[in-house]
Amino acid sequence: MNDAAERKLALSHLWVAFIAFIVACFMGEYQVLERSGLIPALDSPTVYFASVSTHGVLMGFVLTTFFIMGFGYYTASTSLKVPVWNNKLAWVGFWISLLGTLLAAIPLLTGNASVLYTFYLPMQAHVAFYLGATLLIVGSWIWCGIMWVMFKQWKQVHPKQPVPLAMFATTANALLWLWASAGVALEVLFQAIPLALGWIDTVDPGLARTLFAWTLHPIVYFWLIPAYIAFYVFVPKQAGGYLYSDEAARGAFIVLAVFALPIGFHHLYMDPEQAKGWKLLHGIGTLVVSIPTLVTGFTVIASLEIAGRLRGGKGLFGWIGSLPWSNPMVLAVILSLLMLILGGFGGVINASYAMNAMIHNTAWVPGHFHLIFAGTTVIMYFAIAYYLWPMLVQKPLFSNSLALIQLWTWFIGMGILTTPWHVLGLLGQPRRISSVVYNTLLTLAWKPYELAMIFGGLILLGSACLFIYNLAKTQLNPVSGVFTQRVEYAEAIHPVKELPEYLNDFTLWNRVIAVLMLISFGVPILQFFFMNTFGSPGWGY
Amino acid sequence: MNKMNEEDRKRILEISPVGTFALMAVVIGSMVIAWLFLYFGVFIPRGMIN
Repeated sequence: MNDAAERKLALSHLWVAFIAFIVACFMGEYQVLERSGLIPALDSPTVYFASVSTHGVLMGFVLTTFFIMGFGYYTASTSLKVPVWNNKLAWVGFWISLLGTLLAAIPLLTGNASVLYTFYLPMQAHVAFYLGATLLIVGSWIWCGIMWVMFKQWKQVHPKQPVPLAMFATTANALLWLWASAGVALEVLFQAIPLALGWIDTVDPGLARTLFAWTLHPIVYFWLIPAYIAFYVFVPKQAGGYLYSDEAARGAFIVLAVFALPIGFHHLYMDPEQAKGWKLLHGIGTLVVSIPTLVTGFTVIASLEIAGRLRGGKGLFGWIGSLPWSNPMVLAVILSLLMLILGGFGGVINASYAMNAMIHNTAWVPGHFHLIFAGTTVIMYFAIAYYLWPMLVQKPLFSNSLALIQLWTWFIGMGILTTPWHVLGLLGQPRRISSVVYNTLLTLAWKPYELAMIFGGLILLGSACLFIYNLAKTQLNPVSGVFTQRVEYAEAIHPVKELPEYLNDFTLWNRVIAVLMLISFGVPILQFFFMNTFGSPGWGY
Repeated sequence: MNKMNEEDRKRILEISPVGTFALMAVVIGSMVIAWLFLYFGVFIPRGMIN
């Protein structure tokens, strides 16, 4: 199959994602510097919060959405061995999302949307920010639709055959995102945009936070699922082995798609607008969603163990040393899993109803999500890029050694950045502060940790530059000749020939999600229309 | 990579991943210990919120 159209489509999405990423990395380093107070000339809350907001939007919305769309199109095409359905529509989605990104960038960079990437109302941004964010999401919905159509069309042509795992997981992510993004879409359409345009005078912050909580946790899994896809479908093959269990992988993606959604209130444990019972229900769901992560950890490590033993590894742990550590995909998964263990532990503390009070709104929280997102997730985005880039540009990777150095430095930098961040949280440093203008024994105790974070950030910035350099050099390399490498998906030890429909389709799970969402969000949202609440005028812009 | 006969290969594919079980046990055990440490060693000694 000539996949030139798919390669161009994927490459365009990935470049937008990685340009956003590198810009955001520079901002991240500026932010740790500014927060430390080390360089007084940098001290500016106005610039700081504009930067934090832009950094968050670029990393959390632009890098992820464009990466997931580009990776998804290429995965759909290569795993199903068909062209992307309606390529023109896919390009319409790309341009809508890009237009939205550029539209949102204007108020962000001019300090007119310093509302952080969570944009909690009644903080108010320029309407262009909300319209831009909406367009970005609308573009991603087109991607979801295309994935859904390709999934269904393939099933029609191949009745009773198992959908390739990579496509099954990609469709699970599209379904998850359609559900997840509905919460923030409702908030933006019915609260943020009318407020920004002056159509309404006040908004209910409780309702806004409830709607954002609908999106806020599943979005993390939307970001994480491409990493899990690489764990399951690329890593075993790259390590020289087999996937331990195809069925376990499908089960994990289903539970992720279903239980990532009705659990967002663990972000609202300290909020007054929801009752304790609802929070507890969501808290239990949060612990349930750790199960697919454990299943994933087990299945991936078991796949690596098989590969290590096939390569001659002996003993209980001797197989670890036999793995091909010089393969970027294998190295990345090992480093990613290490960060997942540490970040996962932080997540368990966050989800613990009582202990959440200890770390709520402290520096622990950004420390945690940087470890999970920028660590576990983004390091796999790098690995996927290193693996796919040669196929997308039809040239060999410029430097494998540079890729390995980049992955190690990202891991080390992330450790140096996020460990002090967690400690600062336990020492009581609030999150979302630009600088400390008073000196007490408490704040002076923060200094060494802030200095360590600057160093960690510098390593990360250098690592990010290496990543972009390697990709650009690969693409611009004047090597000519026929490049024949194709995407190789891992085979399971026991390949599935037939699957029950509940492991091969999402119709049932879509209904289960609808019921769970109705249970977990129905009353908590409806209550706002029956209670006498007092709205708040917008502020901050 | 060393050479391996088909019999060894089949055996490896069929055996239980004991190394993985051991690693998972270590990880989960460490998490439980770390959680207990944070709860009883850090959280509880801080006392009630004033």
